[in-house]
Amino acid sequence: MKKLFIYLSFLGLLFTSCKKIITIDTDNAPPQIVIEGKITDRLTTQQIKITKTIGYSDALVFPTVSGASVKVTDSRGNNYIFSETAPGIYTNRMRGVSGVTYNLDVTAEGKNYTASSKMPNNVKLDSIGIIVNSFFGNERKTAAAYLVDPIGETNFYHFNLYVNDYLSQRFYVSNDRLTNGNQLRIQLFFKSNNNNNDSDELNSNDKVRVEMECIDSNIFDYWYALSEQSGRGPNQGTTPANPTSNISNNALGYFSAHTYQTLSIVVP
Amino acid sequence: MYIWFQSDLAGMPIKFYVSIILFFFSFQVVSAQNKYNLSGTIRDANTGETLIGATVKLSGKTTVATSTNAYGYYALTQPEGDYTVIISYAGYISATKAISLNKDIKLNEELKTANDLEEVTVSAKNRKNENVKSAQMGLERVDMKSLNSIPVLLGEKDILKTIQLLPGVKSGGEGNTGFYVRGGAADQNLIILDEAVVYNSSHLLGFFSTFNADAIKDVSLYKGGMPAQYGGRLSSVLDVKMDDGNNKEFKFQGGIGLIASRLKAEGPIVKDKGSFMVSFRRTYIDLFLKASPDSSVNGSTLNFYDINAKANYKIDDKNTIYLSGYFGKDNIGVKDLFENNWGNVTTTLRLNHIFSDRLFSNTSLIYNNYNYTVRLLNDVTNFKATSLVRDFNFKQDFQYFSNKHTLRFGLNATHHRISPIDITTTQESQVNPLTQEKRYGLESAVYVSDEWAATEKLNFLYGVRVAAFSLLGPGNFSTYDAAGNITSTENVESGKFYKNYLNLEPRFSVSYLFNEENSVKASYNRNTQNIHILTNATSSSPTDQYVLSSNNIKPEIADQVAIGYFKNLEDNNYEFSGEVYYKWLQNQIDYKNAAQLLANSNIESELLYGSGRAYGLELFFKKKFGKLNGWVGYTLSRTERKFAELNNGNYFPARQDRTHDVSLVGIYNMSKRWTFSSSFIYSTGNAVTFPAGIYTIGGQTAYYYTERNAGRMPYNMRLDVSATLEGKNKGKYQSSWNFGIYNVLARKNPYSIEFKTDPTNTSRTVAEQTSLFGLIPSVTWNFKF
Repeated sequence: MKKLFIYLSFLGLLFTSCKKIITIDTDNAPPQIVIEGKITDRLTTQQIKITKTIGYSDALVFPTVSGASVKVTDSRGNNYIFSETAPGIYTNRMRGVSGVTYNLDVTAEGKNYTASSKMPNNVKLDSIGIIVNSFFGNERKTAAAYLVDPIGETNFYHFNLYVNDYLSQRFYVSNDRLTNGNQLRIQLFFKSNNNNNDSDELNSNDKVRVEMECIDSNIFDYWYALSEQSGRGPNQGTTPANPTSNISNNALGYFSAHTYQTLSIVVP
Repeated sequence: MYIWFQSDLAGMPIKFYVSIILFFFSFQVVSAQNKYNLSGTIRDANTGETLIGATVKLSGKTTVATSTNAYGYYALTQPEGDYTVIISYAGYISATKAISLNKDIKLNEELKTANDLEEVTVSAKNRKNENVKSAQMGLERVDMKSLNSIPVLLGEKDILKTIQLLPGVKSGGEGNTGFYVRGGAADQNLIILDEAVVYNSSHLLGFFSTFNADAIKDVSLYKGGMPAQYGGRLSSVLDVKMDDGNNKEFKFQGGIGLIASRLKAEGPIVKDKGSFMVSFRRTYIDLFLKASPDSSVNGSTLNFYDINAKANYKIDDKNTIYLSGYFGKDNIGVKDLFENNWGNVTTTLRLNHIFSDRLFSNTSLIYNNYNYTVRLLNDVTNFKATSLVRDFNFKQDFQYFSNKHTLRFGLNATHHRISPIDITTTQESQVNPLTQEKRYGLESAVYVSDEWAATEKLNFLYGVRVAAFSLLGPGNFSTYDAAGNITSTENVESGKFYKNYLNLEPRFSVSYLFNEENSVKASYNRNTQNIHILTNATSSSPTDQYVLSSNNIKPEIADQVAIGYFKNLEDNNYEFSGEVYYKWLQNQIDYKNAAQLLANSNIESELLYGSGRAYGLELFFKKKFGKLNGWVGYTLSRTERKFAELNNGNYFPARQDRTHDVSLVGIYNMSKRWTFSSSFIYSTGNAVTFPAGIYTIGGQTAYYYTERNAGRMPYNMRLDVSATLEGKNKGKYQSSWNFGIYNVLARKNPYSIEFKTDPTNTSRTVAEQTSLFGLIPSVTWNFKF
């Protein structure tokens, strides 16, 4: 839907579109459980976070869920107990392996939640770089990830972009449906949290770090649904809905077993 | 071969339809003794254009009236005797003739236009109460004359924006030509131009329509009670007919506006026997871009153009041949970045043949296509994607005029070819070439209907359409489980009928007249649809995907009932109507979460199927003549959908569900030179999904949604005004200026809402509304000679 953005920019040249803050009428939903679980292929402290939603009009402080029982088993018969090391944060030092299916089992506040995810093969993140796009005469620097997509399998990628250690507020996800087996350059357009477009620009000497995860197809759908909705509110595009979670019992969030790589660069 | 029969309708067995057909055929056995025909063609005296819907009234011992068909033809049968014939048409001076009907008589008549306002007022009195008497419901005819004065965005007069000012028709969005009729979706409107389907009726992403008003003669919109000759879409029929061209003298007209210029030429091929019309329109927004010193701006394109052309030739008294075509194209491009172009092509070849005075036949061969191309010119993501929908259509339509019946029957066969996407790439591109399998379908239908003046007070319009659809090979057709995984794939050879559907579509309308100026009407109709647009955008987009009914997608079905009260006041000067309708929708389409609709060979695995209902009340009050005329329309309505997988399986409002919708149009003819007009709209905001909660995921804010489309966008309100100044009369040469202001109140109407963390208080979430247009002035200069 980048195209729509370009169209609208076009029309923006012709007409003066304008923005204003309005109040909307919506009910605050009762708190829902949110589980965010990740198992990576690095030997590290793997984290499973349990939080709750807040109402639309509440202050942005997210309650944590303590005292849950959290464990992960894998298809090779291993058992990992995750213990709460900070409120709502459950950890275990371990390493995930590609091709192995990991099963999550969480019991929190009397309810049981399960999920499973198979860690895909790793695809090497060859390098990251900065490319320059010209749009209506404005030169804009953009981070890009370079990799070679393997031809024999279906691959799904998820990226996180950090600029000066600040996480870009956009969901980056791609698959190889139309690009299978090719050398890929995946552009990651930065979005800062303040709504000033200028602050979305990369400047010389900015420190850029890219994390790349090879994810399974459920997790791709999860991030893809979020990316389709982000930045575009109602009345535009897809009707917003909660992304389909791979966790049972109506929990929000996801449980993903993925490979992990990170590279850094300084903007020239 | 599996035939899927729709026989569940209100428990009515198939036999019932058959008996209806037999029933009305029995009425056709009328004794012809001492009865004679009066028939002919009614035309405009200045241009020779045939007049559609002109009234021909025969008064004598008994009185009967009929109106001319789409080709200006009429026929009446009455017992031998002396009669007065009155031929009338709004805006024209009526003609009155005395005749002795002692043999079959051919009466071709040419009516003179009433140029003066006074004359309009006079002549109007002759074409009386058509809206009250006819059994037809839910029909709106756009008056091409008042269209010229209604204010529109940037002064480009537009039939699609004008019909949005009618009750029961809702706009696709601000400045948008997309529309929703009685709760239906935007792809449920059958839009035809000289019988050819126009798949994408918008230019410039929907801000302008493909219909250049200069080239249009007649526009009829059926919101319900569709006559049986129309089929293929659920919600409405927009039947647009092009001008035939002046068969008396050469004429030119045109206009220069802020964004587009128009030029039209017409004239006789052989005087009084044949004529042609060519109309051309092009925008020049990109000329402003060219003026920019910046190379990436001046290398960009943003334009559209369209050509309407038509020719007709009257071979003899019984045969007339018509050839018409439309060609339009939009181009958008940013230098070295991307290009997108799209357009429709339609061609219609028609032969009118009069078998006998009573039997009128029209045979049409129609070709139409819609195609688009998207090119990305970026070095590594370089590709070109093309898509095409192509139809070949054959139509044979008969009209049989008898004493109290006008019988219409015929057949229709359309062959569809859809090339969903074809991607070609360069060697360096990281995108792979892809050709998605083409799909072929055959839509065929037979229909019969009868317009029957049963008594002085009771009129019927009833019939049935039998619509068949076949999905043809070649192709690989897959079926999917609930998760979207392929369960089986069947390879079907070329020319094989893979999947067939047969639907019976009964159509029935009745009017009962209390007196000349008061009537009640009721109607029921079923419509089915076998070609569907898949899009998750709000309004029509150039890259909309078309799919045919298949093993997975069942034909969409709509059943509509409506009742209405119609009243005319003060000698037809005022028209009032109130209609209520209820519509049931089956086999509606929505999408799974994270559906990928583009370039997806398994697109049918991403779909959800459900049902819908829509109901409403429409009030319409119109002042037709005089210095001040115009109308007020009000719609109270609801439209809902239900999908097992969405909103916990409960009904939820469709996005275009707008409870209240008001439109007001006023045209004031101050003097012979000045006309002022204004239009005002108010509507409830779209039904949208607002977040009910917030959480963080992946280090970012995400929103938690509960009920689907339970929220409301802010309401829409807009006032537009325009003024037209006619130039001083300089013989043949006429010119006029049109000045307009769109959104005089400069109200910020909602286009979209985005949720984000308040930049000034990071612990709070705010909703930010984007509006598209502020106040926009326009000026257009028109000429004619």
